[in-house]
Amino acid sequence: MKRAFARRFALAASAGMLLSIWGFPVLWALLTSFKTERDVLAYPPKILFEPSLAAYRDVLFGASSIVPNLVSSIILSLGATLLTLLVAVPAGYALARLGLPAKRTSGFYVLATQMLPPVGLIIPYYLVLQKVGALDTYVGLIVIYLTFSLPFAIWLLVSYFEDIPREMEEAALLDRAGRLRTLWYVILPQVRGGIAVTIVFVFLNAWNEFLFAVVLGGNRVRPVTVAMFNFISVEQTRWASLAAGAMVAMGPVMLLGLIAQKHIVKGLTVGAVKGGGRR
Amino acid sequence: MTAVANAPGPAAPAPAPSPRIFRYQRQERRFALLLFTPALVLLIATTSAPLVYLLWTSLMRIDLTMPYLSGFAGVENYAKMGGDPRFWNSLLLTLIYTSTTVVLQVVLGLSLALLVMQIPRGQTVLRIAAILPIVLAPVVVGLFWRTLLLSPDFGLVDLVSRTLGFGSHAWLGDPQLALVSVIAIHTWQWTPFAFLVLLASLASLPPDVFEAARIDRANAWQRFRRITLPLLRPAIVIVVIMRTMIALSAFAAIFAATGGGPGTATEILNLYAYRTSFTEFNLGYGAALAAVLLAITLVISFLMFRMRRGR
Amino acid sequence: MKERAGSVALRNIVKRHGTLTVLKGVDLDIRPGEFFALLGPSGSGKTTTLRILAGLESHDEGSVILDGRDVTGSEPGERDVAMVFQSYALYPHMSVYDNIAFPLRMVKTPSADLDRAVRESAARVKIGHLLERKPGQLSGGQQQRCALARAIVRKPTLFLLDEPLSNLDAKLRLETRVELRKLQRALGVTAVYVTHDQEEAMTIADRLAVFMDGNVVQVGTPEEVFRKPASVDVATFLGSPPMNLLPARLAGRDVVIEGHRVSLAVDHGRERDVLLGVQPSRIEIGSDGIPAQVDLLEQLGDSVIVDLALGSTRVRAKLPERTRLAEGAGVHLRFDPADVHLFDPATRKRIGD
Repeated sequence: MKRAFARRFALAASAGMLLSIWGFPVLWALLTSFKTERDVLAYPPKILFEPSLAAYRDVLFGASSIVPNLVSSIILSLGATLLTLLVAVPAGYALARLGLPAKRTSGFYVLATQMLPPVGLIIPYYLVLQKVGALDTYVGLIVIYLTFSLPFAIWLLVSYFEDIPREMEEAALLDRAGRLRTLWYVILPQVRGGIAVTIVFVFLNAWNEFLFAVVLGGNRVRPVTVAMFNFISVEQTRWASLAAGAMVAMGPVMLLGLIAQKHIVKGLTVGAVKGGGRR
Repeated sequence: MTAVANAPGPAAPAPAPSPRIFRYQRQERRFALLLFTPALVLLIATTSAPLVYLLWTSLMRIDLTMPYLSGFAGVENYAKMGGDPRFWNSLLLTLIYTSTTVVLQVVLGLSLALLVMQIPRGQTVLRIAAILPIVLAPVVVGLFWRTLLLSPDFGLVDLVSRTLGFGSHAWLGDPQLALVSVIAIHTWQWTPFAFLVLLASLASLPPDVFEAARIDRANAWQRFRRITLPLLRPAIVIVVIMRTMIALSAFAAIFAATGGGPGTATEILNLYAYRTSFTEFNLGYGAALAAVLLAITLVISFLMFRMRRGR
Repeated sequence: MKERAGSVALRNIVKRHGTLTVLKGVDLDIRPGEFFALLGPSGSGKTTTLRILAGLESHDEGSVILDGRDVTGSEPGERDVAMVFQSYALYPHMSVYDNIAFPLRMVKTPSADLDRAVRESAARVKIGHLLERKPGQLSGGQQQRCALARAIVRKPTLFLLDEPLSNLDAKLRLETRVELRKLQRALGVTAVYVTHDQEEAMTIADRLAVFMDGNVVQVGTPEEVFRKPASVDVATFLGSPPMNLLPARLAGRDVVIEGHRVSLAVDHGRERDVLLGVQPSRIEIGSDGIPAQVDLLEQLGDSVIVDLALGSTRVRAKLPERTRLAEGAGVHLRFDPADVHLFDPATRKRIGD
């Protein structure tokens, strides 16, 4: 009896400790965001303090407001997600279920494109976009964002399409649905879960993208990931504002993570089993 | 009397010669191509074409600070690499960085997963705590650690270190510590990934095998070594492959935390390529460096997939 | 001459799968309104044949003719064929009503007609009260009926069934069998039914085709096939327990088994080795005849199966349940010469009439 209890306790304690390693830093940032700049620099660090929204006001309404950056992020992420879905869903279906010529090679190709390190791609992207005059444009960047979201989305969707029994198409064809209507009325409703997972991942990756945004963006296209550097300069770091900025910038993805946690875990494991994935 | 086939029935007209690939199969193929082509075009445009361009650029001398020197250079960039100590440094750092963080992620993730399996309740809370680091942008994580955690005097880590008696340190200022720090940052952010995947795999293991082992009087360690581990092997391999790919191309967090410094203390290969191209404007050499990184990534992934298949 | 609606003809269907020939030249004629079974063991090609009829699989040679029209190569949707799959293939995200309505919606049936047709079909298979539910909420038997309703709602020319009862439990299977038959009769639609259960095929079909290894080895009514199996394979596939086969020597009128002579009605000519077939139910145990030894008795309740050793061959006899025999006892077997089937051991085909 006592041994079982000690064991339980040890387990709970270690789990708690580990929770603190992963949970606490985020909590610390949250706390910091409600402090005034003075309180932040206080030593010993104040756990109890008078909360202030000064940092948030600075971040949202101040001179270096990140609201335009939020807008930029939203446009980029939504655009990338939409475009990815539009292209990946049919492609995934063709790859998974239809008599696509050279199916295996195509499958390999999609898998291989995920292996490319982004640093290898920005140089040509930069040069090409510069020539075409598409640097610092939403269109240019959304298409570039497809680099990492498209292969992954196709791979995820293929595994979801493959889960549907083969007879679905056969039954629908016999019912005179034709191939397009079969896809729309019979198959797609059955992969709704998979599409949701794909949306979550693509949006997340797009929102968090940094390298492409910083090299290929500029003054017009400047998502929150780039804007974070507003709060750091050689002279002084505005701690509370940085923390508040991080909270605001990461707010949407944290919210998404909380709401869609089951989806995310599912996507991770599915992606892991089928050998895809990024980030 | 009935023997074989051809029982009396309505006479059939002379059948038309049948096409070998039926019309409807051809239509299916056309439909499939229609659906797949946009993706194919976009993929080629965004990945393969740029790759060719990258290789081409690596054969050029493009120095935006001295534009008059630009021109075809052949393998000059690659030759230069061989004698470039900064390159070899970055290669070494990449090796250390990648291997250390992947090993740590797997070991920690597995330990966590095993622990959490024993706790029947509270798994949701732990899952949420695990998901938060993963959904954050690596650049934010890097900045965050740089300022809120690793700053001497004010950072949380520094505070803890002082409280425990280890004193204050320049976690990102000291070259060795900086490497340790960036490894810690990457591990911190991505261990939950390994944790979640391995937890899911553990949860899906059939319980009867363990019960059989218990009946055969195997103790906890033996059960772990001889049953759990082998059964988990496919999942672990996948996690290793995926995390290695990510570690090789990890950029934003290090960039935010140290920018590659101090000096070149945390300048893994892709950071070196970036700095060469966009800070020093030597695009030709930068392209060559990136090409080498790409080659390394491809070789490693090929080897790893082979390993996976072989098992 | 206009063909009557619902006639099916398969001409020399050959299908290859790499180096394997799955169907080796199948010829079939199915009459309108007939309930026709494709019977055979797994892998014999019966399901492939059905799917070729449906248009779901291609074939390398031969043609498919429905109602006098060559439909080889046309899309499944163009053939006016309905199919009930083994797994039912119901659309899980749609209600039962929408599942049944789907084929009608696809051809843009006006809503009043559609509603009537759906309710009528549902009523026929007695699931009218389940229209709002989703397939996941139905029992196996109900799902099967839903699949049936979806198939009959558009009054197809041809009705295909791929082992539709195999997922049901034994009792439900027997009940549903009868209902299926009645349904088909009521609708008058030609039905082609695939099964590996010979009892099922025998009870349900007007005529059946026995498939063995990619060939149709016999076609006929259940009675014809059972009473005059065309080959050893057919003989040992049908019946429960299946026909006994004994090696024997045929000479003219007489056939010799284990030293015992049996006189036949017809003179079969030259002397040769044969396989003699006799149904278990046709064996009598008496005081004289071919000696055999009782191995085992299997009590079935209303009959008993006696496992016997006759020389080096095993024989099974089906006898009334009152039969009292001891294991190990020596007995004598007799049978009526009219119940004898003769097969050539080399070609495995039936000899004689």
